[in-house]
Amino acid sequence: MKTYKDLPDDGGSNIVGQVTQQVNRLQKRLASVRHTVAIMSGKGGVGKSSVTANLASALGLRGHNVGVIDADINGPSIAKMMGVRGQRIDYGDDGVKPALSPLGVKVMSMDLFLKDDETPVLWEAQTQKDAFTWRGTMEMSALREFLSDTEWGTLDYLLIDLPPGTDRLPNLVDLLPNLGGTVVVTIPSGVSQLVVKKSLTMAKKLLNAPVIGVVENMAAYVCADCGKTEDLFPSGHTEEMVRQFDVSLLGKIPFDPRISIAADEGSVFVDQYGDTPAGQTFFGITDNIRTFFE
Amino acid sequence: MKFLCLECNTAMEFKETATPDQGSLTAIFECPDCFAEFAMHMNPWETQMLKSLDVQLGGKSEAAQPMQMVRSFLNQQSPDNLTAEAPTVSVEGGGKCPFTSVVAEAFQEPAETTGPVWTPDALARLERVPSFVRSMAKTGIEEFARENGHTEITTEVMDSVRGNFGM
Repeated sequence: MKTYKDLPDDGGSNIVGQVTQQVNRLQKRLASVRHTVAIMSGKGGVGKSSVTANLASALGLRGHNVGVIDADINGPSIAKMMGVRGQRIDYGDDGVKPALSPLGVKVMSMDLFLKDDETPVLWEAQTQKDAFTWRGTMEMSALREFLSDTEWGTLDYLLIDLPPGTDRLPNLVDLLPNLGGTVVVTIPSGVSQLVVKKSLTMAKKLLNAPVIGVVENMAAYVCADCGKTEDLFPSGHTEEMVRQFDVSLLGKIPFDPRISIAADEGSVFVDQYGDTPAGQTFFGITDNIRTFFE
Repeated sequence: MKFLCLECNTAMEFKETATPDQGSLTAIFECPDCFAEFAMHMNPWETQMLKSLDVQLGGKSEAAQPMQMVRSFLNQQSPDNLTAEAPTVSVEGGGKCPFTSVVAEAFQEPAETTGPVWTPDALARLERVPSFVRSMAKTGIEEFARENGHTEITTEVMDSVRGNFGM
């Protein structure tokens, strides 16, 4: 009896060929993107998306062509933070036109497809029961379409805002074997760093994905009146962690309530408050990322 | 997956899909030597997995539309997505079987049966809506019908929402 390998194809479906075609489409699209950067955290609630929005905008303000993909399919927030919510999905000659932020950053997010604020991401199915068996694959296909079917044009940087957790980075590396690098966002708390270490291990040791460095968010509080800086959390853990993993500390962003206010308003903090300590730190991190690729 | 005719020791070939039944997809394979056929019934989860990969049994006869998977299967989309026109994509090396979107069609029937009832004329007209927006169009029309107290969806009801969906 013939075995699996003896049979030349799968009877005409050519599933492998179909997947290869998807990969080719993706590679063709990203050929005009110089650097792809994944922003990840491991732990939720550390301000990763806010950091992504500000870094993308800072890169734009430095004169680069920048795109952002919100890879948090179920909890998209980038569109709101970058002030592009409500922009209409539109088609160009070669795909879907991304939303455009006031600073000219191109944005693609599931948020642009959803009906309203309250609508969760639900996929058409006979039943949602046992959806765990296929939902992850559906989300990865959505991310692949965001990458390959968006008219990015020529970009210097494409930032990919990953959802919390360590599981999406391997999926992304499957899609983008030539991923330029990862930026890992943490806060000084021990709990955050416990999880972030897993992300670093995943990126550096298991996937061999280049780690650009670590960003410490909410590093300290700067008094708006007297300018005195005080720690929000016990400090020093992040330095210890970057030494342990032999990665760079790209910057420590002080807490500034205007970052959150700007995100809620869809106006980017670095554009409005670029000369504040937090704004200067964002630009410093941006320059470190540029240096990494030079 | 590959299938072997044990009688002939020959690889079986995909022939066609049968009408989807409550979320399951049936694929029929045939031996090119003895013409024996068999049907593979996929359960709804297997069918959904196939759909999530955005691949088609029997091969694709046309290139995928931009964001085809998201537009076809995301529930509760912005009305803008329903009216936006996707560009025509040229076909390169199409598959041998021209059945398109059959997996998607496996999911056209909503799980609940308490919604408005479609008349045959209305259903026939719905079939003329491009496949990649059909499910969203259907959802939108049903929502419109419910919101406006229609227990039956007729072509007249569809006319009322025609402007929204371009049918």
